[in-house]
Amino acid sequence: MKLIHKLEPLWWILFGAGGFTACFFLPALILGVLVLAPQGLLGDGLAYERAHALAASGLGKTFLAAVLTLVIWHCAHHLRHLVLDLGGHGLAAPAAFGSYALALLGTVATLAIVAAL
Amino acid sequence: MSAPAAAEKTRTAPARAPAGFPFGFYRYRNYVLFASTSVFMGLGCIGLLEGLFALGHGPDAWNAWLAHMARPFDLALSLLVLAFTLYFVFRFGWVGRKIGAGRIGPLPRPPLPLPVLGVAPLGGFVVLWLVLLAILGGLLP
Repeated sequence: MKLIHKLEPLWWILFGAGGFTACFFLPALILGVLVLAPQGLLGDGLAYERAHALAASGLGKTFLAAVLTLVIWHCAHHLRHLVLDLGGHGLAAPAAFGSYALALLGTVATLAIVAAL
Repeated sequence: MSAPAAAEKTRTAPARAPAGFPFGFYRYRNYVLFASTSVFMGLGCIGLLEGLFALGHGPDAWNAWLAHMARPFDLALSLLVLAFTLYFVFRFGWVGRKIGAGRIGPLPRPPLPLPVLGVAPLGGFVVLWLVLLAILGGLLP
């Protein structure tokens, strides 16, 4: 846990940056991509050719990698503290290592998926 | 006079939850609800990553993923994820008014009432969402 505590400023920077990023972009991405597009309510806006062109451009890849990665780290830090609050300090180490391991996995998956577009 | 022994660190009492935590008082419930938004926002990220994964595997995979996400269960889950995300955003944005109301270094306090200071960041968020939705919908290039 010493390393986790030593890196606390880093977790907080990622948590804060991810929180702001989520506020700026996440609701529109969820509404557009997960709700409206599957229902056909975005017309041809997210038809394959256009969706791929948007996501696979340099700007699109950077945007998606940054947003998803930061939000994932934000969620991990918030989840760590949720587990800590509900489960007590006996869970401090598993909560910290588990949450940040998930975030690391999410980061690697995000970068791999975005790079393969 | 001999040097004093190394000062002992002050020992803190072990942390313990307040009475009634986590659901016995509305402020505790709100706190837990706010923290639990991380689970749903994480699910939202997984959903978006699934979509990107399908997008990288060609038009058939993309259309199949869209069809999968249109099923009632997935739609309900997506709406739940959206609801928790919006709850997070509005609570997060509402805190902004308190930041704005304080002094930050040499900057003077903005001469605005507290509720207006809260509406400003939330209004900014909504404008950004509309722009992003217009891009996703093909209304903007």
